[in-house]
Amino acid sequence: MTEIYDYIIVGAGTAGGVLSYNLTKSGAKCLLIEAGKYMTKETFPITEADASAQMYWGGGIELSQDAQMAFLRGKLVGGGSVVNQALMDRFDDIAINDWRDESGIDYFNEGEMNPLYEKAENMIALHTFKAEERTRNAELFSEGCDACEYTWHFLRRAQKDCAFSKYNDCIACLGGCHRDSKQSTLVTYIRDAEKEGLSISPNTLIELIESVKDGIKLFGIANGKVVTFEAKNVILSGGAFGTTSLLLKSGFKKQLPSIGRYFATHPQFMFFGLYDELINAHKGMFQSVASKDPRFRKKGFKLENVFAGPASVAMLFSGYGTDHLDFMQHYNRMTCAEVAIRDENAGEIMVDKKGKLIIKKELTEQDKQRKHNGEAVLKEILAASGAKRVIDSPMYFGLHLMGGARIGVDPVTAAVDPDFKLKGYNNVYICDSSIFPNAPGINPALTIMALAHKLSQQLTV
Amino acid sequence: MTSKYLNQNALKGLTRIGDILIPGNEEFPSFSVYRCLDHVDDLIEYVPKGDVKDLNMVLVILSFLPGNVLRWLVKQMANAHNNQSATGPLLRELNIGIRGIVFSLYYSEKPGHNYTAKNPTELIGFTLNKVM
Repeated sequence: MTEIYDYIIVGAGTAGGVLSYNLTKSGAKCLLIEAGKYMTKETFPITEADASAQMYWGGGIELSQDAQMAFLRGKLVGGGSVVNQALMDRFDDIAINDWRDESGIDYFNEGEMNPLYEKAENMIALHTFKAEERTRNAELFSEGCDACEYTWHFLRRAQKDCAFSKYNDCIACLGGCHRDSKQSTLVTYIRDAEKEGLSISPNTLIELIESVKDGIKLFGIANGKVVTFEAKNVILSGGAFGTTSLLLKSGFKKQLPSIGRYFATHPQFMFFGLYDELINAHKGMFQSVASKDPRFRKKGFKLENVFAGPASVAMLFSGYGTDHLDFMQHYNRMTCAEVAIRDENAGEIMVDKKGKLIIKKELTEQDKQRKHNGEAVLKEILAASGAKRVIDSPMYFGLHLMGGARIGVDPVTAAVDPDFKLKGYNNVYICDSSIFPNAPGINPALTIMALAHKLSQQLTV
Repeated sequence: MTSKYLNQNALKGLTRIGDILIPGNEEFPSFSVYRCLDHVDDLIEYVPKGDVKDLNMVLVILSFLPGNVLRWLVKQMANAHNNQSATGPLLRELNIGIRGIVFSLYYSEKPGHNYTAKNPTELIGFTLNKVM
């Protein structure tokens, strides 16, 4: 006999982790379904190449329809929270007010969002970096900002004990934290939810959901076999691509034409500064500072000081042959920073007849202008910090995948009601970045967690 | 070498293009000398099945192209970010897909079975201290 769950949560990432814990703890019978593997600190891949292949959709990377933009999307229990930078930022007035205006939802205000942020923050260890923790890469970035009189700040990250005093090199944690220091939902919510009785089905890709009398049926593939699940309610938390493609494949676009539209991604453009001195940007804490200049916020971009492993750095440089080798010989004398823009949500998520994901995402004129403005400022900062040469990468990335199933009151422009229900359905909930009304221009992880706490409160009253 | 996912001609095509992307110099081994292709299945295992079929086809074609044509194609791929013509998306996809495999293998810290000299990652000064 088929087991009937109170809630099936599809997607074990940031929102799915929070919801699975809160609902299971409240006594509900829950199943958390994830397309990727269930890995632990003992089984996270060792090398950059293996991590990329095993922990991301598409075997490492997915591309937009015109192959100009690359998307990175975590595929494992814990989802993006295992492979991201774990940066935890609350939205500012600008982002929250824009959401309220765009969606028509009253609870997008500081008074109602702050307690939700507190709830999310209380479940994780947070660390704000200090001056002495900066790598030379970060020092040069902040010195360049100071020289140009631009404001910067220390980042706040969800981490417990990264062992910097023992000279741990943290760049490897992009392939999963081998110390369980990074506060992914795998570490902070999902394991505790399992202790409370949560069932998990990894390696299971849900292909179709169907509303039936008194419940929901889900059909998918697990380890090469067709599987079916039943629940009284389903919560889709597969992220912008996962949730939206499932809604499209399940035929909901007929009733809700906005599904798939309003996709945004905070495109990120990478720049390398080459210096005479030894920098070793891959050593120590590799991301600790970013811009915080109100003038940049107004102009729709921010600058982040980052770095990457050798294979990723090699990919980002367009040259080949001897040019490539010359470039890579400078690996430990480079810094890296990115321009991230607050883009217009003009992208679209689609699926073809075979169910394959197609992402239409071209930069708008405004996006290009924002990139151009950010690039000019970043090059000024790199030059002021002593870079002998600046190299820009022709590749750009979408790491924050948002929209496709927008939340809002208007049924023409939104697919999800303010109470997280898919419009017209009482037992289909959506809670992840797919519901974002627009691109906030701020790291989204903490807000996804806050929204998951809001839905949890609603369902456990 | 053999692969569970790529046929012999595809492996030959990947080696040829790998050596154009990474020809080696006095310090660095070329892609083929490093023999990192021995580990290609570690990556291809996770590529979607449909894409593996397409990859085999493309690499087989590359294996038969004359050297000067292959070098011309690599140049077009490397400059494809500026290509606004109808061939732009295909060239960009090829560029990212093939470079992704070649660079991931070369900087994977997994040398070929008989390779005993320094790894490319050591040569660029990439060493990590992982405190467990």
